[in-house]
Order: sequence, then structure tokens, then C-alpha cells
Amino acid sequence: MKSYLGLAVSAIALAACNSPAPETSETVTEMAAVETPDTAPADGHTAGYNPDRNAYFGDLHIHTRSSFDAYIFNVRRTADDAYRFARGETIKHPAGFDMTIAGGPLDFYTVTDHAEYLGILPAMDTPGTELSELPRAKDMFSRDPDKITAAFQGVGASVRSGVPIEDMYDKSVINSVWLQNVDAANRHYVPGEFTTFAAYEFTSVTTNREDGTFGGGNLHRNVFFKGDAPDRAFSTLDSTNPEDLWDWMDEKRSEGYESIAIPHNSNVSDGQMFRLETYNGDPLDAAYADQRMRNEPLVEVTQVKGTSETHPSLSPNDEWADFEIYDKLLGVYDVSKTEGSYVREAYRNGLKLQEEKGFDPFHFGLVAASDSHVAGGAYSEEDYWSKIGLVDGSPVARGSVPFPGTTSWDNQPENNVVKNGREWFSRWSASGLTGVWAEENTREAIFDAFRRKETFATTGPRMKVRFFGGYDYTGDMLSAANLTRQAYDGGVPMGGDLVGTGQAPSFIAWAQRDPNMGALQRVQIVKVTSDGEAVYDVACHTGTPDPTTHRCPDNGAAVDMSTCTPTGEGASELKTLWQDPDFDANTRATYYVRVLENPSCRWSTWEALRNGTPPRPDVPETIQERAYTSPIWYIPAE
Amino acid sequence: MKYLREPLIQFVVAAALVFGLHTAWQAWQDKSDSTIFVSEPELERLAALYASEAGALPGPEDMTTMVSDYVRDEALAREARRLGLDQNDTIITRRLAQKMSFMVSDLREDPVPSEDTLREWYQAHADRFTEPARLTFSQIFFSPSVRGDAAEKDAETLLAELNNNPTMETAALGDPFMLQRQYGDVPVRELARQFGVEFAAAMAGLPASDDWQGPVRSALGLHLVHITHKTPAALRPFEEVRAEVKRDWVEQKRREANEQAIADIIARYNVEIEGVE
Repeated sequence: MKSYLGLAVSAIALAACNSPAPETSETVTEMAAVETPDTAPADGHTAGYNPDRNAYFGDLHIHTRSSFDAYIFNVRRTADDAYRFARGETIKHPAGFDMTIAGGPLDFYTVTDHAEYLGILPAMDTPGTELSELPRAKDMFSRDPDKITAAFQGVGASVRSGVPIEDMYDKSVINSVWLQNVDAANRHYVPGEFTTFAAYEFTSVTTNREDGTFGGGNLHRNVFFKGDAPDRAFSTLDSTNPEDLWDWMDEKRSEGYESIAIPHNSNVSDGQMFRLETYNGDPLDAAYADQRMRNEPLVEVTQVKGTSETHPSLSPNDEWADFEIYDKLLGVYDVSKTEGSYVREAYRNGLKLQEEKGFDPFHFGLVAASDSHVAGGAYSEEDYWSKIGLVDGSPVARGSVPFPGTTSWDNQPENNVVKNGREWFSRWSASGLTGVWAEENTREAIFDAFRRKETFATTGPRMKVRFFGGYDYTGDMLSAANLTRQAYDGGVPMGGDLVGTGQAPSFIAWAQRDPNMGALQRVQIVKVTSDGEAVYDVACHTGTPDPTTHRCPDNGAAVDMSTCTPTGEGASELKTLWQDPDFDANTRATYYVRVLENPSCRWSTWEALRNGTPPRPDVPETIQERAYTSPIWYIPAE
Repeated sequence: MKYLREPLIQFVVAAALVFGLHTAWQAWQDKSDSTIFVSEPELERLAALYASEAGALPGPEDMTTMVSDYVRDEALAREARRLGLDQNDTIITRRLAQKMSFMVSDLREDPVPSEDTLREWYQAHADRFTEPARLTFSQIFFSPSVRGDAAEKDAETLLAELNNNPTMETAALGDPFMLQRQYGDVPVRELARQFGVEFAAAMAGLPASDDWQGPVRSALGLHLVHITHKTPAALRPFEEVRAEVKRDWVEQKRREANEQAIADIIARYNVEIEGVE
């Protein structure tokens, strides 16, 4: 070792052209050129500003290679790739095929990698790092499936229990990858054109049921920062209790980091997401409700892993309740408990708590997302790639076509692929997107819409839905050019509270189809009270709702199953002024709109058709794509 | 020395010779294989790596640590190779291939394009340097859901009135519409997203005019349109996009050179795949 200090000049020269690991090179070079975008346009508003608000569409739930599970699914796409996908560029699926966004670029998009072990697996797979020397790294990236599974499940168990694997819990790597994701969000934010947020997923899962058996109730939520983000992300390795996450968010808010969290997949929460007790089993109180609503004004109601609006057993009189129901707990075949897992029931329990105890912890609005783990969401039934990379990257793996070597569904071999296809992936959905009503496409305007809950959820199509409630609305307004302005001035939009005056309120429900997708069949209003629920058809493509049954006449729309071509007509827009025929001025009621498209082929049917085999018999051949708005809450006068 | 002629003795001597030679060869080989030589370029590389991560040059202690890590890795790697651990391992094969392909792309200097080359590239890939067409227009919506079959006739009637009476107030005409009544400088692609592909294509084909035009059909209904300004799709001037053109060209050449280099390497091998005719 002679005079290495004399190498200073050449060392620095080398450092300048040091070539880092392939997957990260792009990030590193781009980071060098980061300029934080102006979060507020200097001269007032951006192009497209509309005081009556525009509908913007986006996906708030996207994973990339930095998520511990995505990396194992062979996902190598970065946050930069994810944002490029959202803006219309084509990127690669881990199985090698191209993914291009259906329906054109989105208005907003958010990478929400799991905060637990963020970026650790890529580092474990990079030779030369200390993390790659760990025995767990050797196993995880070996060729022995048993070792890989054991190593990976060990990580899952740690995320679940909140007990860190000490040698893997490299906080400097985690925090630096978090800042890289924050930088990527800032870099791709173009006010007026494309909005991003610094965000991540808090991956809490209940471990045991009350009877001590294995649980697996999903309590995941995504955390979004309105502007600047703190230098680390609170994860289950800090605490698995979501209430501790809210404490942290409150603390950060007091330091100037405004945020919200959006829970998802309540459908597989094993009854935990909207349970009527705290995480530790204490009774709910007003302080809990305040804190929950301050931090979680919205809930993700539909995504790839199923729809959480309601369940047929909870809503036996709702003919459309049996829609994309998925109820297997994460990674196992056990069935999630139904009570406490669905949004409509939570609205009902919220009203009950309000009436009995004076607080409502479930006064939330609705959004939707894909939860894609391959950086790009699959929103179209016709062009679907599910969401977990190599594991569900082919029709065989997804169970939409018979196992290779067979052509019928009668005698499928019993193996893991067939079983996982049957139990899990064939029941997943090409869903969903969030719509927001905001003045312009900026972080401030969209985040403010989240706070107002002026949001709606769709199962993929970009249908637009307006919903207003007020006391002086008239039928004339429906044909007035400034309908929207009048509706805002004389009432409240979706997400608002409508305080009683003794009169019966009127509602304006107005839906417009996605111009590039299916036509509309009907608009419904779902009413929830503390002791019941009802679904009213309020606008029909054909005819008017029957005043007794509150159902539209059949509009005759169907699908030609030999080609998946829709047959029959549908509406391009539906609009109505509606009054609740069962209104009681003294009873609290929650109203939200559900819009149904005409039927179309489900993704599994498209794949069967292309494969020349019969569609899978135990899932529906067609679905009715739909949208759900945030509610308007009617609150009786004191 | 007659016993040297004894076959047994001859065998023993020959065996001893062979054994001796083998031992000598083995000793020589072991020596070369058992030396881990840390060269000056290797030290430079380690120092540079450290500097790039730490932002400062390594001190003597850092250097000692790095060198002992290096020695440790090298010894273990050799031992692994001696045990044949590198054989038949997809991950290692893939890594080596990846490393090689990065080396290949690093080996070449970026070529320097002439002005003519860049202009040719710019012409040949004009679509990449073209600003999309943009429109500024007002529209009046006629809803088939509201008017049924009368929508088209109503639109045509109003069209005639509007063009006879250019000062007519239009803000309250037609049916309420969820999208905006006016759009400023909006790209055609955005029209496809908001109104559907059919409407976007029709609008791209209409001229700017003082007159109202239409009705234009969209997925949502019928629209009378007043296109006040139309910026056609325009190729941005070469001078303005020169840097982009160059970046594009260099990127392409780099990709081609890389592919070529890899193809050259592959060409040195005879590829036989068992079971494939």
C-alpha cells in the first residue's frame, strides 16, 4: 500500500465516471439534475382553471421495485418508470410484454411503495453491498424455491409482527430510497398538467384472531403528503397500530407536513378495518373518531383485490351487491370475516354511533386505485395484466384459461398454479381509478378536494359523476346552462354535510359516460340509515324508474359472447333531480350515487375468448362497470 | 548397474520421476493460484469507489479495511470457483453477461455527428420534434338524452340562426354540459380523452372560422363549434431542438453499437441447441 493518497486526482476522475448498479443509474443521474418544481404557479392559476371544477382522474396506489414484495415478483421498474407510464409511455411488464395505459394519460398518479424494508431487497440483490452478504440475501436470491419462499416469508412475518429483522433493517438505505421516491414525485409534478404526491404504504396486518388462530386481516393504508414530505416514513417496524400512525401524522402536521392516509382492501381485513373497537380492543370514543377523520377522510373502495362497497350477505336486497367480491385473507386461502369489512355497513354503524354516542368515525369519502405492483395499472377488461408481476403475469397463472394440456374446466389438475388461479387471481379485477372535482390540476387543488371528499371511485372507466344536495333545487336547473354554478351556490357537493331545515332536500345526480368506453345504463342513489339501507334507481337509459320498486325497466343491453361486443343502446349522460320518497326529517341519512354501465365482458372472458377456450365457469362472464361517489350526509336540525 | 534393467526398478524410477514432476508443477501452480495481488489500479479503483460514496478520499484506516475486504472477497471467490460453485448457476451467468454488456457499451466513445447527419435525423424523425395541433374553440352541446332524435335538427336550426346573427349571446344556449363551454389552446389528444376519438378527429379536420360549424358528433352527443384559433401541428425549428436531436441520435448510435458489439461476440461462437433441428 504505497502512497495511495497520491492517487487523489485519478481517484476523483474515476469517481466522476463511476458506473453504479444498472437499475439505479438512471435515478442517480437524474437526481443530480433535480430542480424542485414550483408547487404553486407564480401567476395565479394554471391553464384549465375552472371555478366550477373539472373532473381529474388518477391512480393513488402504485408499487415499484422498491417494495419488498414487488421485487420478489421480479418487478424492476422504478418510480420514474411508473410516472412515465401514467403519462402515456410504454413500459415493460416483468414477464417481458409491453404495458400501455388504457384510455390515455392520467391527470395524477402516486407511487406508494411499502415503507417496511423500502428498497432493501434491491440492495440485497446488488453484489458488493453489505446487505447482499446476509444469509437471508443468499437464500432469497438462490435458485431453491423452498429457500426463497422461507426467506421471503420471514420478511412478511416481520412486516406483520412489527419486529424488525435486525441485520436487514438498514435505516440509512430505507430513508435514502424514501427520499428518492419523494424526489421522483417532485420531478414528475407539472402543475396544470400532471400531479404527483410524495406517498407510501403503511403495511399493517393483524396477526391473530381473537380465538388465537391465524389472522391476516388487512389494515393497510397509504399515506400522502400535500407538499413537502418528512425525511422518513413511519412504518409497521415503528408500530403496527394504525392509531400510532395517526399520532405520527398529527405530529408531522404540527411541523408543517400536511398529510392524509387512505385505507384499502377492507374487504380482506377480517372484520378489522371498520371494527367497533380500537386496535387494542378498547371502546371507541369521540377523540378516536376525531383523530381518524382528521387523518383518514377517504377510503379506497375498489381495486384489483376486489370491491369493498358491500357484500351480498350484508345487502340481500341489492341486486348489484354481488360484484367483484374477493374475500381471501392475504396470501392464504382463509376467508375474511364479512362484518366490519365493507363500506356501506361502516356508514350504517357510523350513523348508529353518532345517534347513540355522538361521534362518527366512518364519515369518509370514496376513492379507487389499482394497487399495481408492476408500476402500471391495468384498468381495461380488454387489456389486463393483474398486478403482482411474474406470479399472475399470464392467463394460465390468473386461472382465466385451462391449465396447459387441457381444454376444458372439468378435470383440472390440482397443483399450486391451478389452486391459486381458482382461489385468488381469477377473482381479482381490472379496477380502479379515482375521480376528483378540483379547480385545476395542482397538488393544492387536488389535495383540497381530498379534504372536501369531493371524490368518486370507478372500476376503471373514466365516467364523470356530479352529485349535489340542497333545498331550493328545481327541475328547471337541469336544463340551465349554469347548472353546476347554481348547484354549488344552492347546496353542497359530494362529500358535504347537508344540515336540516325541516324541508325535504333535493338531490341532483348527473353522470357522463367515458367517451372511449361503454355507455351508461342507470344512475342509483344508495341511502343508508342507522337501521337500514335502500337502493333507488333515479335515472334510466330507457324509461323512468317504477315508483313502487324503484327499478328501471330493462334497457335490453347485453353482450355478444362470441366476440365480446356489446349489443343494444345506452346513455351518454344521465341526469335527474331526485327527492327521497321515504324521507324523514328527523333521521340521519347517508346518500351516495352509484352509476352502472351497460354489461361488458369481464377480463377473464376476454382472455378465454382469445385463447379459444370456454370462460371460467365459477366467475361471471360479464360485469357492469360502475362508479361510486362520496356521500352527502343529511343531518337533522337540532 | 544391471538392476536398472530390472522392469520393476524401471517402473519405480519412472513413477518417481512422474511424481516428482507433478509435485513440482503442482507447487508452481499453487504458488500462482495462492497469490492475491492487490495492484495499484485496484487500489485506485477502491479509493475512487470510496470517494464516490463518502464524498472524501479514504484515510489509511479506511484503506486497510477496504483492502482486507477485497482480499477476503477475492479469496472466497477463488475458493468458490475451485469448488465449481460458479458452474451451472443461472444467476452468476446472467450477472456476468450483464456485466459484459455494460462493459461493451462503456468501451466505445460516443460518435460525434456532423451537422448534416443531425439535420437528416431531424427530417427522418420529424414526428418526434413536432408540436401537436391545438385548438381554441367554444361549443354548444345538444344532448340526445334530452332531445332524442330532434337533437340534430335543433342543432342545425340554431346553427343557421347563429351565423345570421353573429352578435347573439351564446352562454345559455344548448343543453347543460359537464365539460367546459370554452377551451383555449387545447391539444387534439386532450380532446380525444375528454370527448372521444371521433370528435377529436373531426375537430382536427375543421378550419378556424368566424362562422359556427357542425354539428360535430362526439361520444356524448352533438356539438356546434366555433373554432376561433387553430395552431396546426408544427415541426419545431431545427435550431430550437438541436440538442434534443443530438441526444436522440447519440442514444440511437449507442444502442446500435452495443447491439453490434454483442452480435460480434455471439458470432465468435458456434451455437448448437440440442433437440432443435
